[in-house]
Amino acid sequence: MKILKLVLLAFLLAPLTLPVPAVACVGKTIVVGALDTPQQQLLANMLAVLIGERTGTTVKVVPAATHEAAHQALLKAELDMYVGYTGVAQVKLLGAPPLADQAALYKAVKDRFNQELNLVWLEPFGFADPRLAPSGTVAEAAPVVRKDTLKKFPALARLINKLGGTISLETMQKLEAGVKGDNAKDVARKFLKENRLI
Amino acid sequence: MRSALFLILIPLLTACAVARPPLELADAVISDRQVWSGEVRIRGVVTVKKDGHLTILPGTRVVFEPLDRDKDGIGDGELLVEGGLVARGTAEAPIVFTSGAAQPKAADWKYLYLDFAREGELAHLVSEYAYSGVQIHFCKATVTDSEFRYNVDGLRFSTVNLLAAGNRMHHNTHGVRFEERRSQAHLHHNDIRDNDIGVFVVTRSDDAARIEFNNIAGNRQYNVKMGLEQPGDVTLPRNWWGSADPEIVVRGFFDDRQDPALGRVLAPQALSGPVAPADWLKHQGDVR
Repeated sequence: MKILKLVLLAFLLAPLTLPVPAVACVGKTIVVGALDTPQQQLLANMLAVLIGERTGTTVKVVPAATHEAAHQALLKAELDMYVGYTGVAQVKLLGAPPLADQAALYKAVKDRFNQELNLVWLEPFGFADPRLAPSGTVAEAAPVVRKDTLKKFPALARLINKLGGTISLETMQKLEAGVKGDNAKDVARKFLKENRLI
Repeated sequence: MRSALFLILIPLLTACAVARPPLELADAVISDRQVWSGEVRIRGVVTVKKDGHLTILPGTRVVFEPLDRDKDGIGDGELLVEGGLVARGTAEAPIVFTSGAAQPKAADWKYLYLDFAREGELAHLVSEYAYSGVQIHFCKATVTDSEFRYNVDGLRFSTVNLLAAGNRMHHNTHGVRFEERRSQAHLHHNDIRDNDIGVFVVTRSDDAARIEFNNIAGNRQYNVKMGLEQPGDVTLPRNWWGSADPEIVVRGFFDDRQDPALGRVLAPQALSGPVAPADWLKHQGDVR
């Protein structure tokens, strides 16, 4: 009888646990902003796939409505990076006078973003898109990254700079023509694979 | 009188066992000895503290409810083990860790995470739809006869004393992912196939992890990939690569042949056919 009581007690008590609050462990996800254009989607996905597949870090591409919105999101650390254009940055974001010389424009934008905004312009992809050039400027595309993101991921700049100078305007136009619907990630991955980057 | 009591109690106990509702946990800590069986539903993080010990019985289903508090796209559910964990299922009644989402996908929940754990034994366990099916760091553990599927990382480790044998890692982004960091890891008789990457050597490998007598074949992008910061060579001897042709085998590696800054994947004494993962115990003596 005593044994039966013990068995019954043990059976009833065995599955009980004591819920108490605990702290969750959270990893860092890199967030890349992209406007809803084939070129932006391609370049953002190129960054995301390159970083994700070479480092194993989780990377998310999120939409941005405009260049100004993407810039503000970057300043507020809602984004870690996006693809900027030197002309837009100089005239619209910094409110500075246009510069026609491509190298001078890139240097001017890079220096001010670095010193005043803690944002780093990495190496340009290798093309300038005239559709995105405010009057009197050229429009080189390059990744713009938060400085504190580069500190958290010290190898990131070196990795992203592997894309520097790899995309001519002609190549960009071909890639854009290949974007149909939501396949930008596939087109980006194919480009990276063909260039032995992943 | 005693017989009558038995007649009353046995159906009562049986009914309790069959109809017992799931154990439901939100963020919780375990600081004593606990045993899980049946179904356990977790919403948040359950931590087995240093002085705690959790035993999970065969046939237990651990279900992580969908929860993403920080909206980073990775579920927040996890079982974090700093104390002891013995999860020993059987072939007939494996222990299952899974997602509670209606349409489950990788990273619905975070991971089963052994971190400085005092004891870690996983056998006949299925872990699916997690960010990492299991992560093991800074502890000694064994993972055998288990299956890791539909995760970002199947089995992930760093700085461990780990035996992983007889497991199947499939349909993950990375079947096995590791940062060696002075690990004493021995992986043998595992079947690592149908992942995007079979084995991802992220960084800090001094070529000390013993990865041998495995099937590492049929992975979609690469069977072995070196991470961005892995400049040293990594040797994986005596594995089956899906082909005996060395040129085909090499095509399954991402290493210094794609990026000169990386080390090389070396695959000496490649096997001429697949190993049988279920037989791993018989071959314990064969491996070095």
